[in-house]
Amino acid sequence: MNKLFLVAVLLAAPGCGAADDSETTEEALNVNSRYRIESVHLVGQRGQLSHPLRTEINRLQGEKLDDSILKKLADRIKRELNAANVSISVQKGTLPERVVVNFEVKSHQQPLDLKLAKFVYHSKQGWTGDGSASTMIGGNAVTFGLVSDADALVERFSGVRAKIERRNLGTDRLGLRFEFGSFHQQWNEATLAAASPSDIYRSRQFFMPEATLQLARPLELSFGVSFARYRPSLPAAKSGSANAVVTTLRYHQRWGSEQDEREQEALAEYSLRAATHLLDSDPVYTRHEVRGRAGARRGKHKIEAAFLAGRIDGHAPLFERFALGNASTLRGWNKFELDPIGGSRVVHASIDYHFDHLTVFYDTGAVWDQPQHREQKQSVGAGFNFKKGFQLAVAFPLRAGAIEPIFYAGMNF
Amino acid sequence: MTRSRIKAWWVVAAFLSGLALAMWAEELILNWRDNRLEFSAPRVHFLTGKPLERLHKAAQVPFDFQITLWAGTRTQEFRKIPQRFVISYDLWDETYQVVKTLGGLKKVSHLTAPQAEAWCLAQMPVDVSGLAGNELFWARVDIRTQDGKLAPIFGRESITESGISLNSLIDLFSRPAQKEQPHWTLDSGPLTLDELKRSRHAF
Repeated sequence: MNKLFLVAVLLAAPGCGAADDSETTEEALNVNSRYRIESVHLVGQRGQLSHPLRTEINRLQGEKLDDSILKKLADRIKRELNAANVSISVQKGTLPERVVVNFEVKSHQQPLDLKLAKFVYHSKQGWTGDGSASTMIGGNAVTFGLVSDADALVERFSGVRAKIERRNLGTDRLGLRFEFGSFHQQWNEATLAAASPSDIYRSRQFFMPEATLQLARPLELSFGVSFARYRPSLPAAKSGSANAVVTTLRYHQRWGSEQDEREQEALAEYSLRAATHLLDSDPVYTRHEVRGRAGARRGKHKIEAAFLAGRIDGHAPLFERFALGNASTLRGWNKFELDPIGGSRVVHASIDYHFDHLTVFYDTGAVWDQPQHREQKQSVGAGFNFKKGFQLAVAFPLRAGAIEPIFYAGMNF
Repeated sequence: MTRSRIKAWWVVAAFLSGLALAMWAEELILNWRDNRLEFSAPRVHFLTGKPLERLHKAAQVPFDFQITLWAGTRTQEFRKIPQRFVISYDLWDETYQVVKTLGGLKKVSHLTAPQAEAWCLAQMPVDVSGLAGNELFWARVDIRTQDGKLAPIFGRESITESGISLNSLIDLFSRPAQKEQPHWTLDSGPLTLDELKRSRHAF
């Protein structure tokens, strides 16, 4: 009886031409491979895909459905977005014999994401550490961090940071964040000697609400207000406020990914901070900064070039002034020798070449206040990058006379 | 006379209803024909749950089958036959296609779900030459599918020049199914070929 049932199945199946087939491609395995793709969508996407990957995804439209290609693309999307999973869902299209492909991106739902943004030992400045923990609460990314940074500015600032960020404010083109920080300062002797006592402060706090608008990917505009308050070291001095409108125009594009043979990246950024009496700011100043970075990798060879230029008009507090001679600019120079209170003008360029774990670099730049004090400095160095991000480097200033190397060790500098 | 005729009726009716009930209750049904055992399991549906969800999203889902026969004792393996079927669901036609991948591709399309399930087992008859008619034997059908992650349709270890290999499928079944891996195990026995031949003649 069962045998009869099976025979009936085979005979009664409409059009069930059971035939030996020598095709071994996946096309033969999936009956939907004869349908053409009407459209492709990414669902639940967070972050941006590289240009080549987006081009490849767009190229699917009009092609025949190929499960193996979809799986490869899903795998690449997963890697580029660092997603927990990317699943493929194919549905009937609006036109006959057309299908719609959806890549469904699922983000990691880690309860706590720990991040070490910077951790570096500088043989002249000591340790710098910047770590944070993030979690998602009600669709908002909430971050708390601890920092002790002797590298970025002419001060060492130590304290806490907090940030709450909503990346999608009704549309994924608009995001909003609030950032808060509270720091205590330590000053180098050279800075204390060079600065006016009224410019030295012992603590500062800032609060910055900022919105980010995607103008046209990958071009985005951030705008907001920064309210900073600092308490001078002089006992009788009253607290100061530096309240500024902040605007940043940013272009960040990436082609390829770490898994590809070739990878390129370009970043260009212009930021403006304008402190004005309208915001009840004590100092009035404008601060312009332009940054650029371009990198290209082919196999184990990688070359990176970076550029920085900045200008401050008015009397800005010390935390706004430019400093060169740290772990990322004029490596090999001591910033307190170059300009212990930082400068109101800066120009810097660097070029790094990496081969596998080895790095060599060349930096040049100048930081000054008065044109007659502008002096171009140069430095060279070499380093070794271990797996897991640990780096060692040594850099030398190019100058006449005694040359004292500076050593760097740490991560993400 | 009438009384004895009624008795005979009752015996036949009891036998037939018992047989029908037994067949209905059995998950795995074996039939003997020309020295071959043929398998069917009309009550077992593997096109369900997550594999079915994936099929309805136009994915092709591989189902690995293995039929094992033990003869004499439950520990003495007599035959072991693996097979892989790749099933896909036609989004526009709303029917299933099944491709038998081992020992030459064989493809059938425009099937309903029960037809597709039945076709798979119908492609796996087992030659029982060498098995005595009165010798006890046991049969098992294992069915497994992948968990739906982005694994290649043939795992890297399964690829040979001619596609999927017998050994890799046997290796696959020698490992226990993973906890979340959809799998079905159907057992039958102890049986004898003579019993199967008799039941066949009863119809």
